[in-house]
Amino acid sequence: MKRLHILGRSVAAFTLLTSSAFAQDVTISVWSLDKETQPAYNLAKEFNDLDNGIKVDYRIVQFDDVVTEAMRAFATGQAPDIIAVDNPEHALFASRGAFLDLTDRIAASDVIDPDNYFPGPLNSVTWDGKYFGVPKATNTIALYYNVDKFKEAGLDPDNPPKTWDELVETARTLNAPEKNVYGIAFSAKASEEGTFQFLPWVQMTGGNYDKVNGEGAVRALETWKTILDEGLASPDTLTRGQWDSTGTFNSGNAAMVISGPWELNRMVEEADFEWRVALLPVPEEGAERASAMGDFNWAIFANTDHPDEAFHALEYFASQDDRLFPDFGQLPARSDIELPPTGNAPKDAALQVFLEQLKYAQPRGPHPEWPKVSKAIQDAIQLSLTGQKSTQEALDDAQARIDAALN
Amino acid sequence: MMKRLYSAVVDGKGFDILLVGLPLLFLITFSGLPLLYNVLMSFQEVDIFSLGSLIRPFVGLDNYRALLAQPEFWPIMWNTVIFVVCSIFGQFTLGFALALFFDAGFRGASFLRGLFLVSWVMPGLVVGAIWNWILSGDFGVLNYILRATGLISENIFWRSDTDFSLWAVIIANIWLGTAFNMILLSVGLAGIPKDLYEASELDGANVWQRFLTITIPMMRSTIGAVISLGLIFTLQQFDLFAAITSGGPANSSNVAQYWAWELSFRQYDFAKGATISTIMIITVMIAALLYVRSTRHEVRG
Repeated sequence: MKRLHILGRSVAAFTLLTSSAFAQDVTISVWSLDKETQPAYNLAKEFNDLDNGIKVDYRIVQFDDVVTEAMRAFATGQAPDIIAVDNPEHALFASRGAFLDLTDRIAASDVIDPDNYFPGPLNSVTWDGKYFGVPKATNTIALYYNVDKFKEAGLDPDNPPKTWDELVETARTLNAPEKNVYGIAFSAKASEEGTFQFLPWVQMTGGNYDKVNGEGAVRALETWKTILDEGLASPDTLTRGQWDSTGTFNSGNAAMVISGPWELNRMVEEADFEWRVALLPVPEEGAERASAMGDFNWAIFANTDHPDEAFHALEYFASQDDRLFPDFGQLPARSDIELPPTGNAPKDAALQVFLEQLKYAQPRGPHPEWPKVSKAIQDAIQLSLTGQKSTQEALDDAQARIDAALN
Repeated sequence: MMKRLYSAVVDGKGFDILLVGLPLLFLITFSGLPLLYNVLMSFQEVDIFSLGSLIRPFVGLDNYRALLAQPEFWPIMWNTVIFVVCSIFGQFTLGFALALFFDAGFRGASFLRGLFLVSWVMPGLVVGAIWNWILSGDFGVLNYILRATGLISENIFWRSDTDFSLWAVIIANIWLGTAFNMILLSVGLAGIPKDLYEASELDGANVWQRFLTITIPMMRSTIGAVISLGLIFTLQQFDLFAAITSGGPANSSNVAQYWAWELSFRQYDFAKGATISTIMIITVMIAALLYVRSTRHEVRG
């Protein structure tokens, strides 16, 4: 805590020094989805308390409305100065000149250094070789597993599944329909969540959002299909998001679950069994790793009247990144910040795995047509898993739609 | 002077014009213009960044053609028809049965009838969330009841099985709309003069004959209104889809109104979203026309 105070004070001093540059109070508006208990809300408030000549007008925007609200505001000239946008949507705005190019400002900044950021998040704010934002936080997915159930089934909890085949085999062993226990839970929902969970599997095989019908991608979706066809996961996997899927793991009705670090606090509270986290299994031993990359980025709208003040606010937000985890339970998108132990052993151990997994996190896109690309992938997942199309056919169709969207 | 102006407004033609003008202005501002804007959008190339401007490239029927070419177009339209027809049929039959039941006028009938309105008062998203739990595959209440009564031996995955997902929403929607149908039909039943029944009873008509020759003809306009309103409410039904199936899996429970929203606000393809809405507006307008006609020939005893 003491360290934080000193840091806070030095930042305050820094901002006081530079604030003489701003003659009158300038008001900048910030839109983000963060609520009272989350970082942006509090950082905006603290920034106001610095009384450095810049006032922040903070507004909470619902997750589902961020893009449409922002577009409407931009189209009518009412855009905020700063917005937090989901990372796959970033390119949509950057490519159309809606976001301010921050490359020069970042180069001149003492606070924000691109080298400190994980490559995935940094990639998501990059368009055409230039920086159009600053990563706000990051997350990824890995494999949670129930150690008690591993032991009951005679499996070694120190040796969790490492390959897809092992994952399916482990799920078969753990599956116990008579006890209402599924081998594994994940989300194949027809929404961004489905793409978020599936794309890493494609990326591990060398594919990506622009190449989804390769041999590896077909095998990935076939693996999902095997899991569902054999009843190793609930059929509701098709319509359930990650939060609800993980709920079944916490209640002991699934022995493994693929999900992210945002579940850690809830799991500590709810799960009355021993659990651990392992890296996402790969296609075969020695194969390339990949995982999803989630969370939001900061950006400044191009038509702002106060670009310098807005960037100054972003610098302040970035200067507080080391508080993201201890204060708010979010992971900073940076490799130069050490996360202090929380004192909760399973949580701290899990965190190390997530930090390791983050090194392999790959962005979705970036591409301005991301929503169409993502929808094509979601449709392929659902058509294949419901048996309405063969996996190859479903992914070929998706590829055709993606090609049309990308060109 | 002021007095003359005042009386002109209150008693004279001015008042009539005011009475007609205000609602007309209201309708044009809040219904007419957005409607026209929506139709206009369906003939334009709309981009997220041109959302705020009225002048956009005109593309003729391109949006309509592109929409028709999508493989999911006809399945979704067919789903919409099934959803509308089955929901209305279910709501109407159950509503009519309940209305007749409570019309018998036993002790506490009107109190119980009031209780039935609870379903109508609840917000759609809440109803959706509750049905979401009821219909849940592994631990749903409905599956539990069906298994306990021996009707099924294995869980039905109402939300995730392509054969059941649309029916899951239909069941929830019937539950939601039955009470409203019942109340409107109850009002209609109350309007039928009781002496008609007494006279026909004296003439020796049985219950079934009285129902067919008195109740149904006397209720014609009410039934027309109820079914037209049902069509409009059913085509507006969005919350239940959002809460229960999100139109999935694989579009098996997707309907026009949900698809329009998905295209506009998930894929930001506002032109196509507007195109579906335009197709739906035409359908609803036909329904509204039927409704207006059926209320015009109101028969009151």
